[in-house]
Amino acid sequence: MRNKIGVYICHCGSNIADYVDVEKLKEIVAKEEGVVLAKTTMFACADSTQKEIVQDIQEKNLDAIVIASCSPKLHLFTFRNIAIRAGLNPYNYIQVNIREQCSWAHSDTPKQATEKAISLVLAGIERAKHSKALTTLKISSVNTVAVVGAGVAGMRAAIELADMGTQVFLIEREYFVGGRSSQWNKLFTTDETGQEIVAKLYKKIITYNNITLFTGAEIVSKSGSVGDFDIKVKINPRYIKPGCKLDWAKFEKAVEVCPVEFDDPFNFGLTKQKAIYKNYPSEFPEIPAIDYDKCNKCGECVKVYEDIDLNQKPETININTGAVLLTTGFDPYEPEKGEFAFDEIDNVITLQKFKRLIELNEKELIYRNRKIRNIAYIYCVGSRQLDGENKYCSRYCCTSAIHTAILVKNKYSDINNFHFNRGIRTYGKQEVLYTESSEIGDIFLQSFEDSPPVVEKQGKDTIVKINDILTCGKELEVVADLVVLVTGMVPRKINTIADVLKVPIGRDKFFNEIHPKLRPVETVIDGVLIAGSCQAPLNITESVKSALSAASKANSLISKGEIELEPTLAKIDETICEWCDKCSEICPYDAIIKTKHGGKIIAVVNETSCKGCGMCLPVCPVNAIQLIGYTDVEIESMIEALI
Amino acid sequence: MPEQKSGYDVLVIGGGIAGEEAALNLANIGYKVILVEKDISIGGKMIHLSKVFPTLDCAACITTPKVSETARHPNISIFTNSEVKDIEKNSEKNFTATLVEKPRYVTEDCTGCQICEEKCPVVVNDQYQWDLVGRKAVYIPFSIANPRIAVIDIENCILCGLCEKVCPANAIDFTQEEKQTEIKIKSIIIATGYDLFDPELMPRYGFGKYKNVVTSMQMERQLVPTRPYNAVLRPKDGKMPDNIAYVLCTGSRDETIGNPICSQVCCMYSVKQAQLLMGALPMADVTIYYIHVRAFGKGFCEFYQQSKGMGVEFIKGKVGTIKENENGNLVVRYEDIEEGKVKEAEHDLVVLSVGILANTDFTTMFKNIKIGQDNFNYVKQTDELTNPAKTTIEGVFVAGTASGPMDIPDSILSAGAASAETASYLRRTNNEK
Amino acid sequence: MTENKGSKILVFSTEKISDPAIDLAGLLKMHYPPTVYTINIPCSSAVKSRWIMHAFNKGFDGVFIAADGTDCAFDESCTDNTAKVISRTHELMKEKGIEPARLKMAAICSVCAEPFVKQMKSFAEYLSKS
Repeated sequence: MRNKIGVYICHCGSNIADYVDVEKLKEIVAKEEGVVLAKTTMFACADSTQKEIVQDIQEKNLDAIVIASCSPKLHLFTFRNIAIRAGLNPYNYIQVNIREQCSWAHSDTPKQATEKAISLVLAGIERAKHSKALTTLKISSVNTVAVVGAGVAGMRAAIELADMGTQVFLIEREYFVGGRSSQWNKLFTTDETGQEIVAKLYKKIITYNNITLFTGAEIVSKSGSVGDFDIKVKINPRYIKPGCKLDWAKFEKAVEVCPVEFDDPFNFGLTKQKAIYKNYPSEFPEIPAIDYDKCNKCGECVKVYEDIDLNQKPETININTGAVLLTTGFDPYEPEKGEFAFDEIDNVITLQKFKRLIELNEKELIYRNRKIRNIAYIYCVGSRQLDGENKYCSRYCCTSAIHTAILVKNKYSDINNFHFNRGIRTYGKQEVLYTESSEIGDIFLQSFEDSPPVVEKQGKDTIVKINDILTCGKELEVVADLVVLVTGMVPRKINTIADVLKVPIGRDKFFNEIHPKLRPVETVIDGVLIAGSCQAPLNITESVKSALSAASKANSLISKGEIELEPTLAKIDETICEWCDKCSEICPYDAIIKTKHGGKIIAVVNETSCKGCGMCLPVCPVNAIQLIGYTDVEIESMIEALI
Repeated sequence: MPEQKSGYDVLVIGGGIAGEEAALNLANIGYKVILVEKDISIGGKMIHLSKVFPTLDCAACITTPKVSETARHPNISIFTNSEVKDIEKNSEKNFTATLVEKPRYVTEDCTGCQICEEKCPVVVNDQYQWDLVGRKAVYIPFSIANPRIAVIDIENCILCGLCEKVCPANAIDFTQEEKQTEIKIKSIIIATGYDLFDPELMPRYGFGKYKNVVTSMQMERQLVPTRPYNAVLRPKDGKMPDNIAYVLCTGSRDETIGNPICSQVCCMYSVKQAQLLMGALPMADVTIYYIHVRAFGKGFCEFYQQSKGMGVEFIKGKVGTIKENENGNLVVRYEDIEEGKVKEAEHDLVVLSVGILANTDFTTMFKNIKIGQDNFNYVKQTDELTNPAKTTIEGVFVAGTASGPMDIPDSILSAGAASAETASYLRRTNNEK
Repeated sequence: MTENKGSKILVFSTEKISDPAIDLAGLLKMHYPPTVYTINIPCSSAVKSRWIMHAFNKGFDGVFIAADGTDCAFDESCTDNTAKVISRTHELMKEKGIEPARLKMAAICSVCAEPFVKQMKSFAEYLSKS
């Protein structure tokens, strides 16, 4: 039992002190048995307070400390480090959350909030009394990262990790690298094309010995934990003999004879694709691929292209990796049938499809045999929805649409652009594009969320109507040759990796970080990191920044060879245990071993496999199992203090 | 003869959130870092903010632990109150920088007891409260400053010597002089941050002339826990305002004052302040005059909608002029875009949501080599799409708002990118040798 | 020791999934009864029946397990195992004459602030009537 406990109550500026009577709280807890010091402080996390606490611990010889402040998710480690600096075991530090779960949650009833805070702190003191000095468990870690998704973010992270000396497995679901960026032409601000960037990165990647790229590959299962994940990767065959060079003429012949034809997803259905394909000539890896799911194995292609081998089989390989970095990207929002006449009027297309259309039309802009002059862009389709689920702004679309509109105007003659927007969000330096487009004569019409523009057919014409707030709400209409729906970003529709790794999902359904400012690329699952547009809509520069941040985080996590783990482990009392198999049956980590001990058979916990989930605790018929840090005496004394 | 120091890998210029994040990342991998801050405390602008959008975390709760982690890190040496006088590139991975440390006139023996502050007879405007209140000529910069030791503002000091007499730690030392240090480093990260737009350059808004026209930073200070009046008051007469206006895009998106770009943060910090005001002054009306509300980041749009739900009024309109009434209230003349009319509205406090501008300090530091600037005076990024921290000088990288306007999460990611690029630059060049 | 009036509810939350949701509720200033007290544990399937019974014995009116559900980072068997804890404890409660409805469980995902607040309000209301 600890009996020289120091208690610190944080005002958190006004965040706690405005609602909780911290002085009263201090007075009450100071009287508690075992408490030798109780103080209030403006900011417990401030450097000067930290120094003061260290001094207190040393001078007053404290054997445990309790800090009542914010959520431990924010500062548990900050405060544990104080204990360490003062020579106190960090597990003799207890944090009590009186902000998120008290002062803020009950800001409407300050008196009751104070009462609750008293109970919470008393429970914390109880827990501190029973706390044990623990040592962290060190496990070895492999200096390897599996990067999932070889788009720009994934490739960039792979290069950075490889530069830092980490072994990288780059796992791409498609047969070619580049992700979404390879579909886009010139990019703001440098005017490089997406394909140029992809080529630049790919050419760099193949120079590294410590990057292994898998295409047509997907993670199908995961076991283990940070430092030592075992992942199974299923690799679909490419049906091209390994090591052969691309023979373009024979490849074209093979495409010609292939009977399997379907809408080309790369061009959003503007063209047709065969089972054997390359999306564009300079795509990487250079050799073509045959789509495993689409190919009917008729064998026609083999007759004209001897490098094809239809006998290849899918294989599953095992990879041992220290961390997993997800850079799985986004899908463009797919409008519903009838949403701004999508799928009802034939000249309504999405922005992403429009971008492909521009690239496929060299001289004249033609869509469905019609020459395009007047283009109406409708913004915020699938974003900032009032009724739908996507409440968020997709961030990149305003700039992307304006940039595309300028491109179209420069590339073809007689183009008129009409932007039906809900407030242009060309933030930061992107503003110059908006200025430029206004200067070259693009027309901007704006409406509020609740009165969006309407797309309808009048005779042969497609009309876009709006109550334009920039002209005092006048109803204006434009006869459009083409209506471009500026569709935003949504999380990947096929997102099996999320299930396999149990990645936490945020309110907007994108992968969720721990904290947008403190830990923006980490998830609550140790060793699983996120970067790029799988975390939130981002443009390329922003994705690359987060990819580089994630690369350095992953590297510093696993490159030291060992990782310290929380000593929260199950412990079995050998005097009580009468081997019954129940705990070993329920343990998801096979961490409980049947052992002979002192003449009887008992269960023993394998410390390196135990993850401290505690599933085994309630199933023991003789209550022989305690979870360190959550023992019966700790939990039950807390319950008594709370009531 | 300046003191010479070597054995460092990276010089980080600027001790704001971006500089700290970059320094910590590199120090955690094992590089030796020198962090130079021209102010008397590290923490940058963020440490002075109230809460941050869209999570409404208190800014101090996020910065102070980072500040103290930086200050304590064995691989980081900090120079506050110091400027980088010049940088010379000698060869690949070999820079020499001269640092000038200005005298504090207070030694490190200072315990921060503030007795000198109490006795000092001189009162001047407190720059850390954005001139809302006063401070003494000897002072602790602010309560969560790091280092938390006093400094003497020698320009305003009358040399009465009272502080020297009362200091229990004998820490006052008027003989201190400027100190130069020459350091050798292998690479540099510029994290010099931004300047706030000075609204006195727009006389039509009356800032400086009408006391009840304040900047968003002054309002920010009124909303922090360590706020000067412990309440939100209007400066002219100390009245609690009940009808507050925000003028967005003050000093942004405006060719006439030479800043055509959007500052990226003002919409959201105004929406945040409006929400905090609704909490601090439940009866007050808050009106935001805007051109576009740029709520683009993760959780921003939801945050903006939430403020509408709380009753913040948004008027699409550009503010032309602001005039003061006899009672100190302000008449805002604006173009109501929705109705196509020029209108007037009376408010008892006007907050100018000032934009952010490039801090061009970095331009004069480099001696024998020129550092590129972009069209808006920020550090030029030469490979923005795939190496966002790269500048025109090999081995020199940029982090945070030194490269353009951005919010805190973006600054942190930008600093992450800068530290990663610096680390791989150092490793690459090491391997080649 | 508390003087707060109203039905007292003990919540077992989980560190990685449901406790962040309860934090989020506070962050968004979504109010729920101040007689709700939280103890967090690694996984909802680790709650022992004796802890729950102890809470009832000492005077809690209700116990709520804010379960990981299918989001559990440890194992997918979590949902089943937590349900088994509940049903075993329900038996014990019946033996002691405690109404089983005083022990509730619901999956609370890491951003389920609103569902949590709703659960707390309706549970408190139920307990105050019974």
